[in-house]
Amino acid sequence: MDQIVDLTRVDSLTDTQLDVLERQIANKYMRKVPWGAVAWGIGNCVFFFTLLPLVILGYVPLWLGFVLATVSIAASYLPSHEAQHNIIAGKGKPLRWLNELVGHVSTLPLAYPYRVLRATHMEHHAHTNEAELDPDYGVHAASDWDYLIQQIRGRLGGDGGNTNAYGATLERVGQSALFVDAIIYEVVYLGVLFTLAWTGFAIEAALLWWLPRHIALIYISYYLSWAPHHPGEETGRYRDTRAFKSRFGNVVSMGMQYHIIHHLYPRIPLSLTPAAYRELKPILARRGCDLGAL
Amino acid sequence: MQQILKFVFSPIAFALGFLWPLITQVLIAASLVAPGWTAVAVGAAIAVPWGLVAQFKGSWLWIR
Repeated sequence: MDQIVDLTRVDSLTDTQLDVLERQIANKYMRKVPWGAVAWGIGNCVFFFTLLPLVILGYVPLWLGFVLATVSIAASYLPSHEAQHNIIAGKGKPLRWLNELVGHVSTLPLAYPYRVLRATHMEHHAHTNEAELDPDYGVHAASDWDYLIQQIRGRLGGDGGNTNAYGATLERVGQSALFVDAIIYEVVYLGVLFTLAWTGFAIEAALLWWLPRHIALIYISYYLSWAPHHPGEETGRYRDTRAFKSRFGNVVSMGMQYHIIHHLYPRIPLSLTPAAYRELKPILARRGCDLGAL
Repeated sequence: MQQILKFVFSPIAFALGFLWPLITQVLIAASLVAPGWTAVAVGAAIAVPWGLVAQFKGSWLWIR
């Protein structure tokens, strides 16, 4: 699997031969069940909802609970992302139920409905960097600091980041019925916050779910939307996403250094994108992809 | 139903449901106000106007 393509050979190939070789390499990394993501998604959800009572009952200090909750919520999206792309199991496959279970369960700490995320994310893939059609287009900013300021201002303004763009996308693709999912999630989330607050646990609610969720959403959006698509000016299969070297490493950047592989072949599991990238790199260079310093 | 949801997701509902008790409990935890109805009243005096401004200005910090 780790066989590196000879760069000299790649240069001598025709475009058709290059297409074939690219697909052959990518195919080697697909159709593998990411059991790690399955355990991560379900385990992280159990961890988060166990953490809340442990802090409230005094078994875990609040400061530690805040740190753990923030990390847990930030880590909650990616297993669902695997499910959104049917990587665990496609429609009609025996493990399809597990794919949908992971999709739904893993984002419960994020208080964001799986079906809404899936519908809008498919539109992001179909229209990456298109101002009118990409629901994640609004995250683009000139620098990472500009991104951070824009996100904080957006949240203080009450629009909740991409909420408006996601709603418009659902309407455009005829999936307005999914607003029900979004309303139920928001009502339950606010209901839990308000109940905890009025029963004497407002500070715990703020530091275990409200603030960590805001931090996590900004963090997830930075690594999944801003960084791999920056500057967001180009469209096209080989130009709308870039590889980049994160100064914080691959784990902290949630594997998104290799997001270009995900956009080219969304069925490759996250854990295999680094290996796929290394093998495909000469082809991507020949395609004119922005590979940064990776 | 639409009006109910509009209220539930509004800044003023957030101020009443969350900010009010949060500010009250922070003031008590910081020993700025003694526990009791005074703390609740001070929490309301901060949270409710803040929520109203957010409701009508469209921003929690007036920077939009």
